[in-house]
Amino acid sequence: MYRLSVSIIFINRTLFPRILVKLGSKKSESGNRVKDFYIKEYKKLFLIPLILFLISGAILFNTYNKTGEAIRRDVSLKGGISVTINLGYDDMPGLEKFLFDKFPDSSIHLRTIGSTNNVAGIIIEASDIDEDALIDAIKEKITLTKNNYSVETMGSSLGDSFFKQMFVAVLLAFVSMGVVFQIYFKNIYATLAALFSAFMDIFITLGIMDILGVRLTAGGIAAYLMLIGYSIDTSILISTKLLKDRTDEISKAIFGAMKTGFTMSAAGIAATGVSFLLTNNTTLKQIMLILIVGLIIDLLTTWIGNVAFLRYYLEKKHGQN
Amino acid sequence: MGKIKSLLGNWRIWIYLVFFVITLLAINPNPFIEGVTIRTVASNSSAFNAGMSSPSPSDAPMSRERIEKINNIPVKSVEEFEKIISNFPKNTTLTIKTSESTYSLLFTSKEKLGLSVYEAPKSNIILGLDLQGGTRVVLQPEKKLSTDDMGILLDNMKRRIDVFGLTDTVVRSSSDLTGNQFIIIEVAGANEEEVKDLLAKQGKFEAKIGNETTFLGGKDITYVCRTAECSGIDPQQGCQKYAEGYACAFRFSISLSKAAAERQANITNNLGVSYNQYGEGYLDKPLDLYLDDVLVDSLQISSELKGSASTDISISGSGAGRDRSAAIKDAQQNMKQLQTVLITGSLPVKLDIIKTDNLSPSLGKEFLANAILISFLSIIAVTLVVIIRYRRVKIAIPIITIITSEILLILGVAALLKQNLDIAGIAGIIVAIGTGVDDQIVITDEILGHETEKDSKYLSWKQKIKKAFFIVFAAYFATIAAMTPLLFAGAGLLKGFAVTTIIGVTNGVFITRPAFAEMMRALIEEK
Repeated sequence: MYRLSVSIIFINRTLFPRILVKLGSKKSESGNRVKDFYIKEYKKLFLIPLILFLISGAILFNTYNKTGEAIRRDVSLKGGISVTINLGYDDMPGLEKFLFDKFPDSSIHLRTIGSTNNVAGIIIEASDIDEDALIDAIKEKITLTKNNYSVETMGSSLGDSFFKQMFVAVLLAFVSMGVVFQIYFKNIYATLAALFSAFMDIFITLGIMDILGVRLTAGGIAAYLMLIGYSIDTSILISTKLLKDRTDEISKAIFGAMKTGFTMSAAGIAATGVSFLLTNNTTLKQIMLILIVGLIIDLLTTWIGNVAFLRYYLEKKHGQN
Repeated sequence: MGKIKSLLGNWRIWIYLVFFVITLLAINPNPFIEGVTIRTVASNSSAFNAGMSSPSPSDAPMSRERIEKINNIPVKSVEEFEKIISNFPKNTTLTIKTSESTYSLLFTSKEKLGLSVYEAPKSNIILGLDLQGGTRVVLQPEKKLSTDDMGILLDNMKRRIDVFGLTDTVVRSSSDLTGNQFIIIEVAGANEEEVKDLLAKQGKFEAKIGNETTFLGGKDITYVCRTAECSGIDPQQGCQKYAEGYACAFRFSISLSKAAAERQANITNNLGVSYNQYGEGYLDKPLDLYLDDVLVDSLQISSELKGSASTDISISGSGAGRDRSAAIKDAQQNMKQLQTVLITGSLPVKLDIIKTDNLSPSLGKEFLANAILISFLSIIAVTLVVIIRYRRVKIAIPIITIITSEILLILGVAALLKQNLDIAGIAGIIVAIGTGVDDQIVITDEILGHETEKDSKYLSWKQKIKKAFFIVFAAYFATIAAMTPLLFAGAGLLKGFAVTTIIGVTNGVFITRPAFAEMMRALIEEK
């Protein structure tokens, strides 16, 4: 399930420097054409994040229709038991079938740490199950010692309220960031544009996570909060350049900011990419995956979405272009 | 040389250096430290009587008492400690040399020694449970408690844990955005699953004859015997085999307060006496023992006790298991729990267990080693991006310097605030570093970008920095705004993440970012 996203990182890690070099080098013919298109047809380009936004909405709606909730949560946000076993095991399908047969009424998910060929650890998540019964059943297949496994249980009421509160925390983050943005730029249009592009970023990333089959964990919510922060950072950058200290024509200002913004995102994607590939902790892995996808989507929502809003605003207000 | 001189003349650099030194002192790293650190000294054990004591939870890890030698044999690991103690001849003198003192005591058995130890920490960074292993239990009171009641509850729980014999335990209250109250108990290092039953018990102990209460746990009981002479597996009843396994009986004696003894005398005075087949006389009604309103045992009262204000009573109960040794262990565990609640009395409210975590120490160790590796490689990855973008290795130098020192600064402040570093905290560090790199790129571009523009001549150094810091501070306030709700949400389970992020970005804007700008100035102006 992670393989798809791994290739995304590789593409981007190799593509990024090239794009950056291109932006920085003497203008080539093709480079110019892309730039001209980007500057002239910004309204058409806006369709890209908009379509992704709509597709994501359709995906989440479909999940909602199927499961009754738009965002699939793991046991840390829903209640249940998570057992992490620090051992390799070569018969995962066998273990899966054994547990399914033993507990037909429970919902059980098995995941592995490491690669498919070299399983370094197993994570078993289950709800509607007795902790001792589950551990006893696992012991029939795997030797558990006091030291080689962790068990985490989350009461369903706490899981539920935790999820709701995190939702509130995200909302509060949006509102308070909006306040900060408004105080800084004193321009409600720029504030709404920044918030909307951050929202699009999160929303599209949620859709992609759904396709990848990733269940949201408590750590994942932290990742979305971070993502809002990063997205607002790039919005602050472009808003400063377009609204606050403009001395150049608009295209120069945009490309200047873009150079900085792309370097920021490339640094972020490089760091989270390395962490995603190498971490042995599932919480961190999910945080990193959300950040990688989110940072890539942020390139679209900021440099196409947010820029389009701001330019439209400037055009209406001053007739500038 | 002149470059360094001009840097050292700048107060921003000095603030940075001073904080850096404070941080190192706070972390106090010593990778060469050897020995084992004392986790617990059981009360009334031989180590306790020799003057050794458990560390207080507020002691910094590096200042805790460390065992260096036992009878002049150096102790380097927990395994070595166990080996030395297990092979030691009984009834000989043991000399323990610690980082603070030397103790001499008579060694009788490993259990009597009462020492539990863990590998000596190599710095003051306190690792969270998910990185060092341990047990966490989150409880929720059935009804809302006032601040005073919550204080009483926490005190009682701490006492319970203490009496039960666990230290290095943190008991704290927490709440969430909707005002729900939680009690979080963390036992570091060990897998102590059995504590969760003890903690969740309200511990309301009642002894009744008929409908009349004779005594209650806590205040009516003046002494609970816990030594082998008057507590343990009942030698008369012992263990018995059943179809499902074994069951073992335990007993221990307690002393009642005078008032309770007299109450009992009054009640028993009105009871009749009946005799069994062996001619032994018993009172009509038994003494019923209730724990949290559940009948746990019913004791026949000998006819001699009728109307007597006897203060000594023997309490009994049982435990069961698949085999004999499991049944004995269960009985002993039940006895220990009952003794604990009899001593500490009942909690003001019923508690529900809403979350338990048993975290493996070996898994935690692997996570930690891995976290260090990925931090290192992430720094390299970021450096590569910076070098590719600016085509100047020189610009990478201040950026790497700042990233590395920012990680240390976060760890140092966390150590000073005694904030645990858990996996969520590591994620927070990574975010803070990411934001830091973003800011540095903004600053670098403001400085370098204007260099090539026509108007750069009109922009002074100060103006360039002002422009950059406009963006840096906006981003800072936005991050703080995003993280603050997390500090209070959901029983504080993601607090570690929010705290490290806030520490990191705050250090960044006030300490490292100004220093970075100065370093860049030194680099650029030199040309």
